[in-house]
Amino acid sequence: MLNIKRSDFEVILAHCRSGLPNEACGMLGGRNGSVEKVYPMRNAKPGPDYYEMDAEEQFRVMKDIRESGFELIGLFHSHPTGQAYPSSVDIAQAYWPGTELPNYPDAVYMIVSLMDRARPVARGFSIEEGRVQEVKLSVI
Amino acid sequence: MIKVRIPTPLQKLTNGKAEVECSAKTVAELVDVLDKDYPGMKDRLSEGGKIRRFINIYVNEEDIRFVNKEETSLKDGDAISIVPAIAGGNWNSTSSQLAASSASEYDYI
Repeated sequence: MLNIKRSDFEVILAHCRSGLPNEACGMLGGRNGSVEKVYPMRNAKPGPDYYEMDAEEQFRVMKDIRESGFELIGLFHSHPTGQAYPSSVDIAQAYWPGTELPNYPDAVYMIVSLMDRARPVARGFSIEEGRVQEVKLSVI
Repeated sequence: MIKVRIPTPLQKLTNGKAEVECSAKTVAELVDVLDKDYPGMKDRLSEGGKIRRFINIYVNEEDIRFVNKEETSLKDGDAISIVPAIAGGNWNSTSSQLAASSASEYDYI
């Protein structure tokens, strides 16, 4: 389970909406299954069906997470027109190229569907070796 | 010596070590040296002599793509980070797969 404060969840939703019609992305720092800091990030290759974090921003954020005493516990992105479920591209990109070794095995992949703009749907998943499993999101 | 931060998916090759040390004058040479110490590393990191797309390498805090790519110079005391890119998207999405699968079911009915 991944615990997210209501105010942090609103930051994630606002960032996903601000990216429309393109996908939006970001990272979640925290510990013990609770999000402590949301990092809305730039989509370096924006498209309605694609995101790629800016490499330099990614490095800076990962450093900030470490230096804040947190861990990278989540990665979020939006699906402006798709379901809140990892796409085949999401799954392929979660692995080291050419392998089934997960790049960020401890991170929950949170996907925000904006198919219904008025009613976003957010779900969390772990993507481990060859397996996608839902991780419950608890907004507190 | 140069310190190299090893990401989780490559730690199987370094016997679980998250950081290793080595000597190299360029990033290309570093890949060869790492492969000698930890066989399989070259294939994980590069393809046809180029660092794989979706693998970011930083010398201290600089992305080598904005320096001199594989020929980026290294010096004693540098800290190298190997970091998998984070990307994805809804292309060929589950929803379209679901749509496709229900379409094929429909074909059989």
